[in-house]
Amino acid sequence: METYVDAIGEEDTAATTTTETAANKNKKKLRMMVAIDESKNSFDALEWAVDHLRVVISAEPETGQEGGLLTLVHVHPTYLQYIYPSGGTASAMYATDSVPEPMRKAREETTTKLFTRALEICRGKMVKTETMILEGDPKEMICQAVEQTHVDLLVVGSRGLGMIKRAFLGSVSDYCAQHAKCPILIVRPPRETSTSSTKELKSK
Amino acid sequence: MATGDEKSVMVVGVDDSEQSTYALEWTLDRFFAPYAPNYPFKLFIVHAKPNAVSAVGLAGPGTAEVVPYVDADLKRTAAKVVEKAKAICQSKSVHGAVVEVFEGDARNILCEVVDKHHASILVVGSHGYGAIKRAVLGSTSDYCAHHAHCSVMIVKKPKIKV
Repeated sequence: METYVDAIGEEDTAATTTTETAANKNKKKLRMMVAIDESKNSFDALEWAVDHLRVVISAEPETGQEGGLLTLVHVHPTYLQYIYPSGGTASAMYATDSVPEPMRKAREETTTKLFTRALEICRGKMVKTETMILEGDPKEMICQAVEQTHVDLLVVGSRGLGMIKRAFLGSVSDYCAQHAKCPILIVRPPRETSTSSTKELKSK
Repeated sequence: MATGDEKSVMVVGVDDSEQSTYALEWTLDRFFAPYAPNYPFKLFIVHAKPNAVSAVGLAGPGTAEVVPYVDADLKRTAAKVVEKAKAICQSKSVHGAVVEVFEGDARNILCEVVDKHHASILVVGSHGYGAIKRAVLGSTSDYCAHHAHCSVMIVKKPKIKV
């Protein structure tokens, strides 16, 4: 598991290294994990989350309120049979000799592009963001990551698959909803009609 | 985006279970209590009271007599749920929440309420049924996650690991 820590926005650590009183504990902002892949839905989910949940996660420098933490996690599905060492941490599995070097490079490039896009969305929102890359079966790895990092909320997009497709293709959001150890927020793909019409129908 | 009166709406579905209570408390703790009095969302707490006739089902002769009792019982449960929800809001000092009760099937009611209030988030607890129970009893949180016209947050009560 490789972790890149990239701090964006204000980190108000100085004010908060004091002991945590009960009042402070309540005011601790949310630690949120957002799962992203190359699909448009996951980026939509990230944008939605950063937009609507900004209040519960961003730092407030005026009150000295420390912000929460936003973790972006991306899982490489292992369709290759090669296992390569992951950053020198616990798992020391070595690749077979013929790891396709160009494939690995291509993957790293895609991942970098992915995270650049994602971090672009988080820019200027006053929230500490970090990124995480995992390898394996997306649904299991996401649930494991949740357990290990003890986040408060997991955010996933939804492909909006029908019931039958879901049964066959499998749904990451479904699996996570059932197995994740923390509350999960499933962001629906935005409908073209509803968001624009709500503004007009605000006659209450 | 106007920040004046156009507040996003959050709907929390509650029933009589512990998981619901936990879900409501967690939501208030994280999204409302620390931000008083400027809550980031307008909160609606919705309880769906099952229809007495559908609850009894087709049990054969004699159902007509049972229905009024079942109905009275369901009404009592609904009142209890509303009281509990209000008490929880009070204990967290969260004001301005609207508690509503509708009659019918929970899944449909929650999705309708989301549409009615143009909610941005629907929050539900989860009974944590296994695969078989889900197939037989159906899962409200599952249904809502796939059919509601807004994002759905499923809050599970963490199981205590022995």
